Amino acid sequence: MSAPDDRLLRKDRRAVFAAWAALTAATVLARFLTPGESRSATALGDGLVAAIAVLGLVKCRLIIRCFMEVRHAPRWLRAATDGWLAVLWAALLVGYLL
Amino acid sequence: MTAPGTTTRPRPPARERRLPGDADMWVMILGDLFFFGCYFVTYMVFRAMSAGRFTASQRHLDIDIGVTNTVVLLTSSLFAALAVLAVREGAWRRARRLLWATGACGVLFALIKAYEWHTEISRGHTIHDGFFGFYFVLTGVHLVHLALGVLVLGVAVRELRSPRGRRPTIVEQSVLFWHMVDLLWVVIFALLYLMR
Repeated sequence: MSAPDDRLLRKDRRAVFAAWAALTAATVLARFLTPGESRSATALGDGLVAAIAVLGLVKCRLIIRCFMEVRHAPRWLRAATDGWLAVLWAALLVGYLL
Repeated sequence: MTAPGTTTRPRPPARERRLPGDADMWVMILGDLFFFGCYFVTYMVFRAMSAGRFTASQRHLDIDIGVTNTVVLLTSSLFAALAVLAVREGAWRRARRLLWATGACGVLFALIKAYEWHTEISRGHTIHDGFFGFYFVLTGVHLVHLALGVLVLGVAVRELRSPRGRRPTIVEQSVLFWHMVDLLWVVIFALLYLMR
Protein backbone atom coordinates (compact mmCIF):
# COMPACT_ATOMS: atom_id res chain seq x y z
CA MET A 1 0.00 0.00 0.00
CA SER A 2 1.42 3.40 -1.01
CA ALA A 3 2.33 6.11 1.50
CA PRO A 4 -0.65 8.26 2.50
CA ASP A 5 -0.91 11.75 1.06
CA ASP A 6 -3.49 14.15 2.53
CA ARG A 7 -4.37 15.73 -0.79
CA LEU A 8 -4.88 12.39 -2.51
CA LEU A 9 -6.84 10.98 0.44
CA ARG A 10 -9.21 13.96 0.40
CA LYS A 11 -9.64 13.58 -3.35
CA ASP A 12 -10.34 9.86 -3.01
CA ARG A 13 -12.88 10.48 -0.24
CA ARG A 14 -14.74 13.01 -2.41
CA ALA A 15 -14.70 10.55 -5.32
CA VAL A 16 -16.14 7.76 -3.13
CA PHE A 17 -19.01 9.97 -1.86
CA ALA A 18 -19.73 11.25 -5.39
CA ALA A 19 -19.80 7.68 -6.72
CA TRP A 20 -22.22 6.58 -3.97
CA ALA A 21 -24.55 9.53 -4.68
CA ALA A 22 -24.51 8.84 -8.43
CA LEU A 23 -25.11 5.11 -7.91
CA THR A 24 -28.07 5.73 -5.61
CA ALA A 25 -29.55 8.32 -7.98
CA ALA A 26 -29.15 5.94 -10.94
CA THR A 27 -30.89 3.15 -8.96
CA VAL A 28 -33.87 5.38 -8.15
CA LEU A 29 -34.02 6.64 -11.74
CA ALA A 30 -34.02 3.07 -13.10
CA ARG A 31 -36.83 2.20 -10.70
CA PHE A 32 -38.99 5.00 -12.13
CA LEU A 33 -38.22 3.91 -15.69
CA THR A 34 -39.70 0.49 -14.89
CA PRO A 35 -43.51 0.39 -14.75
CA GLY A 36 -45.23 -1.23 -11.76
CA GLU A 37 -47.55 -4.21 -11.71
CA SER A 38 -50.54 -2.06 -12.67
CA ARG A 39 -49.26 -1.45 -16.20
CA SER A 40 -51.00 -3.68 -18.73
CA ALA A 41 -48.06 -3.96 -21.12
CA THR A 42 -46.37 -7.34 -21.11
CA ALA A 43 -42.92 -5.92 -21.63
CA LEU A 44 -41.12 -2.61 -21.46
CA GLY A 45 -40.44 -0.59 -24.57
CA ASP A 46 -37.10 -1.33 -26.22
CA GLY A 47 -35.94 2.25 -25.59
CA LEU A 48 -36.62 1.97 -21.86
CA VAL A 49 -34.80 -1.35 -21.62
CA ALA A 50 -31.84 0.13 -23.48
CA ALA A 51 -31.83 3.04 -20.99
CA ILE A 52 -31.96 0.60 -18.05
CA ALA A 53 -29.07 -1.40 -19.56
CA VAL A 54 -26.99 1.76 -20.04
CA LEU A 55 -27.69 2.79 -16.43
CA GLY A 56 -26.66 -0.71 -15.30
CA LEU A 57 -23.41 -0.48 -17.26
CA VAL A 58 -22.64 2.98 -15.85
CA LYS A 59 -23.33 1.78 -12.30
CA CYS A 60 -21.07 -1.26 -12.71
CA ARG A 61 -18.28 0.91 -14.13
CA LEU A 62 -18.59 3.37 -11.24
CA ILE A 63 -18.26 0.52 -8.71
CA ILE A 64 -15.24 -0.91 -10.54
CA ARG A 65 -13.51 2.42 -11.13
CA CYS A 66 -14.25 4.31 -7.89
CA PHE A 67 -14.94 1.70 -5.21
CA MET A 68 -12.54 -1.00 -6.45
CA GLU A 69 -9.99 1.71 -7.41
CA VAL A 70 -9.40 0.29 -10.86
CA ARG A 71 -9.05 3.87 -12.18
CA HIS A 72 -5.53 3.85 -10.67
CA ALA A 73 -4.79 0.26 -11.75
CA PRO A 74 -2.46 -0.92 -14.53
CA ARG A 75 -3.77 -0.84 -18.09
CA TRP A 76 -4.39 -4.62 -18.31
CA LEU A 77 -6.86 -4.55 -15.42
CA ARG A 78 -8.70 -1.50 -16.75
CA ALA A 79 -8.96 -3.19 -20.16
CA ALA A 80 -10.10 -6.53 -18.67
CA THR A 81 -12.87 -4.98 -16.57
CA ASP A 82 -14.04 -2.67 -19.37
CA GLY A 83 -14.05 -5.65 -21.76
CA TRP A 84 -16.15 -7.71 -19.34
CA LEU A 85 -18.62 -4.85 -18.92
CA ALA A 86 -18.97 -4.18 -22.65
CA VAL A 87 -19.43 -7.83 -23.64
CA LEU A 88 -21.81 -8.58 -20.76
CA TRP A 89 -24.18 -5.64 -21.22
CA ALA A 90 -24.16 -5.92 -25.02
CA ALA A 91 -25.05 -9.64 -24.74
CA LEU A 92 -27.78 -8.96 -22.19
CA LEU A 93 -29.34 -6.19 -24.27
CA VAL A 94 -29.21 -8.24 -27.48
CA GLY A 95 -30.67 -11.24 -25.61
CA TYR A 96 -33.55 -9.10 -24.36
CA LEU A 97 -34.30 -7.54 -27.73
CA LEU A 98 -34.26 -10.87 -29.62
CA MET B 1 6.53 30.48 -23.55
CA THR B 2 4.80 32.04 -20.54
CA ALA B 3 2.99 35.32 -21.16
CA PRO B 4 4.34 38.31 -19.20
CA GLY B 5 2.56 38.81 -15.89
CA THR B 6 1.28 35.25 -15.64
CA THR B 7 2.59 32.59 -13.31
CA THR B 8 2.54 28.86 -13.91
CA ARG B 9 1.61 26.66 -10.97
CA PRO B 10 3.55 23.41 -10.79
CA ARG B 11 1.32 20.53 -11.77
CA PRO B 12 1.08 17.85 -9.03
CA PRO B 13 2.88 14.66 -9.99
CA ALA B 14 0.73 11.98 -11.66
CA ARG B 15 -0.48 9.27 -9.33
CA GLU B 16 1.46 6.05 -9.50
CA ARG B 17 -0.37 3.16 -11.17
CA ARG B 18 -0.85 0.31 -8.73
CA LEU B 19 -2.86 -2.88 -8.47
CA PRO B 20 -5.51 -2.62 -5.72
CA GLY B 21 -5.23 -5.71 -3.51
CA ASP B 22 -3.01 -8.38 -5.04
CA ALA B 23 -2.88 -10.42 -8.24
CA ASP B 24 -4.32 -13.58 -6.63
CA MET B 25 -7.43 -11.72 -5.49
CA TRP B 26 -7.91 -10.31 -8.98
CA VAL B 27 -7.61 -13.77 -10.55
CA MET B 28 -10.42 -14.88 -8.25
CA ILE B 29 -12.55 -11.79 -8.90
CA LEU B 30 -12.14 -11.91 -12.69
CA GLY B 31 -12.88 -15.66 -12.64
CA ASP B 32 -16.03 -15.09 -10.61
CA LEU B 33 -17.13 -12.26 -12.91
CA PHE B 34 -16.59 -14.53 -15.93
CA PHE B 35 -18.69 -17.39 -14.54
CA PHE B 36 -21.45 -15.10 -13.27
CA GLY B 37 -21.42 -13.38 -16.67
CA CYS B 38 -21.96 -16.74 -18.41
CA TYR B 39 -24.89 -17.45 -16.10
CA PHE B 40 -26.41 -14.00 -16.70
CA VAL B 41 -26.28 -14.55 -20.48
CA THR B 42 -27.76 -18.06 -20.07
CA TYR B 43 -30.66 -16.51 -18.14
CA MET B 44 -31.25 -14.03 -20.94
CA VAL B 45 -31.22 -16.80 -23.58
CA PHE B 46 -33.84 -18.79 -21.62
CA ARG B 47 -35.83 -15.58 -21.14
CA ALA B 48 -35.78 -14.90 -24.89
CA MET B 49 -37.23 -18.40 -25.51
CA SER B 50 -40.34 -17.66 -23.39
CA ALA B 51 -40.38 -13.91 -22.84
CA GLY B 52 -44.10 -13.70 -22.05
CA ARG B 53 -43.95 -16.23 -19.22
CA PHE B 54 -40.78 -14.74 -17.76
CA THR B 55 -42.26 -11.21 -17.86
CA ALA B 56 -45.44 -12.41 -16.12
CA SER B 57 -43.37 -14.09 -13.38
CA GLN B 58 -41.07 -11.05 -13.00
CA ARG B 59 -44.13 -8.90 -12.26
CA HIS B 60 -44.60 -10.86 -9.00
CA LEU B 61 -41.33 -9.41 -7.68
CA ASP B 62 -41.58 -6.21 -5.63
CA ILE B 63 -39.24 -3.69 -7.29
CA ASP B 64 -39.12 -1.56 -4.14
CA ILE B 65 -37.59 -4.46 -2.19
CA GLY B 66 -34.97 -4.73 -4.94
CA VAL B 67 -34.30 -0.97 -4.81
CA THR B 68 -34.01 -1.06 -0.99
CA ASN B 69 -31.56 -3.94 -1.13
CA THR B 70 -29.52 -2.19 -3.82
CA VAL B 71 -29.25 1.02 -1.76
CA VAL B 72 -28.32 -1.02 1.35
CA LEU B 73 -25.53 -2.78 -0.54
CA LEU B 74 -24.29 0.44 -2.21
CA THR B 75 -24.14 2.07 1.24
CA SER B 76 -22.18 -0.91 2.55
CA SER B 77 -19.71 -0.40 -0.30
CA LEU B 78 -19.40 3.29 0.64
CA PHE B 79 -18.49 2.28 4.22
CA ALA B 80 -16.03 -0.33 2.91
CA ALA B 81 -14.29 2.15 0.59
CA LEU B 82 -14.04 4.69 3.44
CA ALA B 83 -12.56 1.96 5.66
CA VAL B 84 -9.69 1.47 3.19
CA LEU B 85 -9.01 5.23 3.20
CA ALA B 86 -9.12 5.25 7.01
CA VAL B 87 -6.52 2.46 7.09
CA ARG B 88 -4.25 4.49 4.79
CA GLU B 89 -4.54 7.39 7.23
CA GLY B 90 -3.70 5.10 10.12
CA ALA B 91 -7.15 5.69 11.68
CA TRP B 92 -7.49 2.07 12.79
CA ARG B 93 -10.44 2.55 15.15
CA ARG B 94 -12.48 4.40 12.49
CA ALA B 95 -11.60 1.73 9.93
CA ARG B 96 -12.86 -0.97 12.30
CA ARG B 97 -16.14 0.87 12.90
CA LEU B 98 -16.63 1.31 9.15
CA LEU B 99 -16.03 -2.39 8.54
CA TRP B 100 -18.59 -3.24 11.24
CA ALA B 101 -21.08 -0.92 9.50
CA THR B 102 -20.32 -2.65 6.18
CA GLY B 103 -21.02 -6.07 7.70
CA ALA B 104 -24.22 -4.78 9.35
CA CYS B 105 -25.49 -3.63 5.95
CA GLY B 106 -24.66 -7.09 4.60
CA VAL B 107 -26.73 -8.74 7.34
CA LEU B 108 -29.60 -6.31 6.67
CA PHE B 109 -29.43 -7.22 2.97
CA ALA B 110 -29.65 -10.93 3.83
CA LEU B 111 -32.65 -10.35 6.15
CA ILE B 112 -34.53 -8.42 3.45
CA LYS B 113 -33.70 -11.16 0.94
CA ALA B 114 -34.94 -13.84 3.37
CA TYR B 115 -38.23 -11.93 3.75
CA GLU B 116 -38.56 -11.72 -0.03
CA TRP B 117 -37.86 -15.47 -0.45
CA HIS B 118 -40.41 -16.28 2.23
CA THR B 119 -43.04 -14.10 0.51
CA GLU B 120 -42.43 -15.69 -2.90
CA ILE B 121 -42.40 -19.26 -1.59
CA SER B 122 -45.61 -18.69 0.37
CA ARG B 123 -47.22 -17.48 -2.88
CA GLY B 124 -46.31 -20.81 -4.47
CA HIS B 125 -43.35 -19.57 -6.53
CA THR B 126 -40.74 -22.31 -6.33
CA ILE B 127 -37.58 -23.34 -8.14
CA HIS B 128 -39.68 -25.45 -10.57
CA ASP B 129 -41.04 -22.31 -12.26
CA GLY B 130 -38.82 -21.20 -15.20
CA PHE B 131 -38.14 -17.65 -14.04
CA PHE B 132 -38.18 -18.40 -10.31
CA GLY B 133 -35.71 -21.25 -10.87
CA PHE B 134 -33.22 -18.65 -12.11
CA TYR B 135 -34.31 -16.19 -9.41
CA PHE B 136 -33.62 -18.59 -6.52
CA VAL B 137 -30.34 -19.89 -7.96
CA LEU B 138 -28.95 -16.45 -8.87
CA THR B 139 -29.93 -14.77 -5.60
CA GLY B 140 -28.95 -17.90 -3.63
CA VAL B 141 -25.43 -18.08 -5.11
CA HIS B 142 -25.14 -14.33 -4.56
CA LEU B 143 -26.17 -14.77 -0.91
CA VAL B 144 -23.44 -17.39 -0.46
CA HIS B 145 -20.92 -14.84 -1.79
CA LEU B 146 -22.36 -12.22 0.57
CA ALA B 147 -21.98 -14.58 3.55
CA LEU B 148 -18.38 -15.27 2.51
CA GLY B 149 -17.86 -11.50 2.22
CA VAL B 150 -19.11 -10.94 5.79
CA LEU B 151 -16.72 -13.65 6.97
CA VAL B 152 -13.79 -12.03 5.15
CA LEU B 153 -14.71 -8.62 6.63
CA GLY B 154 -14.64 -10.32 10.06
CA VAL B 155 -11.07 -11.47 9.36
CA ALA B 156 -10.13 -7.86 8.46
CA VAL B 157 -11.72 -6.51 11.68
CA ARG B 158 -9.77 -9.10 13.67
CA GLU B 159 -6.56 -7.99 11.95
CA LEU B 160 -7.21 -4.35 12.87
CA ARG B 161 -7.81 -5.22 16.52
CA SER B 162 -4.27 -6.41 17.09
CA PRO B 163 -1.68 -3.56 16.96
CA ARG B 164 1.07 -5.99 15.98
CA GLY B 165 -0.80 -7.82 13.22
CA ARG B 166 -2.28 -4.92 11.28
CA ARG B 167 -1.82 -5.62 7.60
CA PRO B 168 -3.50 -2.95 5.44
CA THR B 169 -3.47 -5.27 2.42
CA ILE B 170 -5.82 -7.70 4.22
CA VAL B 171 -8.36 -4.87 4.60
CA GLU B 172 -7.90 -3.87 0.97
CA GLN B 173 -8.42 -7.46 -0.24
CA SER B 174 -11.50 -8.12 1.89
CA VAL B 175 -13.05 -4.83 0.75
CA LEU B 176 -12.32 -5.69 -2.89
CA PHE B 177 -14.22 -8.95 -2.46
CA TRP B 178 -17.10 -7.02 -0.88
CA HIS B 179 -17.29 -4.60 -3.81
CA MET B 180 -17.47 -7.60 -6.16
CA VAL B 181 -20.54 -8.83 -4.22
CA ASP B 182 -22.08 -5.37 -4.69
CA LEU B 183 -21.16 -5.33 -8.40
CA LEU B 184 -22.81 -8.70 -9.02
CA TRP B 185 -25.97 -7.58 -7.23
CA VAL B 186 -26.27 -4.48 -9.45
CA VAL B 187 -26.39 -6.77 -12.52
CA ILE B 188 -28.80 -9.24 -10.84
CA PHE B 189 -31.10 -6.38 -9.83
CA ALA B 190 -31.27 -5.06 -13.41
CA LEU B 191 -31.80 -8.54 -14.87
CA LEU B 192 -34.49 -9.86 -12.54
CA TYR B 193 -36.35 -6.74 -11.43
CA LEU B 194 -35.96 -4.12 -14.13
CA MET B 195 -35.57 -5.77 -17.55
CA ARG B 196 -39.05 -7.21 -17.84
